[in-house]
Amino acid sequence: MSNPAALKYLIVDDFSTMRRIVRGLLKEMGCNNAEEAEDGAVALAAMKAQKFDFVVCDINMPNMNGFDFLKAVRADESLKHIPVLMVTAEARKEDIVLAAQTGAAGYIVKPFTKATLEEKVLKIVQKIGAAA
Amino acid sequence: MKMDDLAALMPKGPVTASPEVFQQLGAITRMLHDTLQQLGVMPKLQAAADGLPDARSRLNYIASKTAQAAERVLDSVDQAKQEHQCIAAETRKLATALIADPVRAVASGAVLNFVGDIEAHTSRIDQHLTDIMLAQDFHDLTGQVVAKVVTLATDLEDSLLKLLVQVVPPEQREKVTEMQGLQGPVVDTGNRTDVVKDQTEVDDLLASLGF
Repeated sequence: MSNPAALKYLIVDDFSTMRRIVRGLLKEMGCNNAEEAEDGAVALAAMKAQKFDFVVCDINMPNMNGFDFLKAVRADESLKHIPVLMVTAEARKEDIVLAAQTGAAGYIVKPFTKATLEEKVLKIVQKIGAAA
Repeated sequence: MKMDDLAALMPKGPVTASPEVFQQLGAITRMLHDTLQQLGVMPKLQAAADGLPDARSRLNYIASKTAQAAERVLDSVDQAKQEHQCIAAETRKLATALIADPVRAVASGAVLNFVGDIEAHTSRIDQHLTDIMLAQDFHDLTGQVVAKVVTLATDLEDSLLKLLVQVVPPEQREKVTEMQGLQGPVVDTGNRTDVVKDQTEVDDLLASLGF
């Protein structure tokens, strides 16, 4: 798991514009295999139905927010190994700390740049590849 | 209308109303205040009123973000169009050279130079397209802020409704739910220490946690 282009991504955000932006940026990084979900609940169902290698997730979403989604992923034996990168407008330090404590693989504050997303994805993929 | 505006409406000369009028006004004001306090409406109304400056700040944030996005898109389109015009001009120039003397055009390196130039132009156009795509993040950020302002307006409405339903039996009065949850985009970091201002601060905070 050291080549980001070979991974299958799940983009979770309630705003379709942001999902398209993240998908577009991943595509520019050579990561063409990506699917989308509009909230945590839909994402969780998708992850149980098919295999994903990497999740890019918003926090502030209806039905199931990013924190609850992250907790559910970490509590599931079959999903807990999948890295979840939080991409959110939530800039409170307590939210960042909570995300880290809950098991987020990284945290990006919106608005962000292509370079930031690329750097975080690469860093997480390399870290997981080294640990494997 | 602000209190200053009201003050401007006051008569310039001495007030001629009788002391009884002022006594009555004072009594009505006191009665209204006491009633609102007893009904428990005042704190909620106060909270909603306190939120109004924040609502203005949030609306300003929306105006600012949409303006920035529009400027960013228009700037990128202008620059992409310039690149496109350069490609068109260089293509016409090469076509002229090829028609006039194909061998010389190739031998002089004009064709190879053209290929290199086109690659550079298209690379820059691609960057402009990426910038245009990223500029659309205002939709997400302002959408969250709009939701907050709508919540505030709903709170105000709830408070006023609560005031109205005081005339009906208590068992029919609706409870006003407190606004809880996530904060959404920070529209004005100002002197706040509880939020991060940029990605560098996020990274520093995570690094301090061992990430």
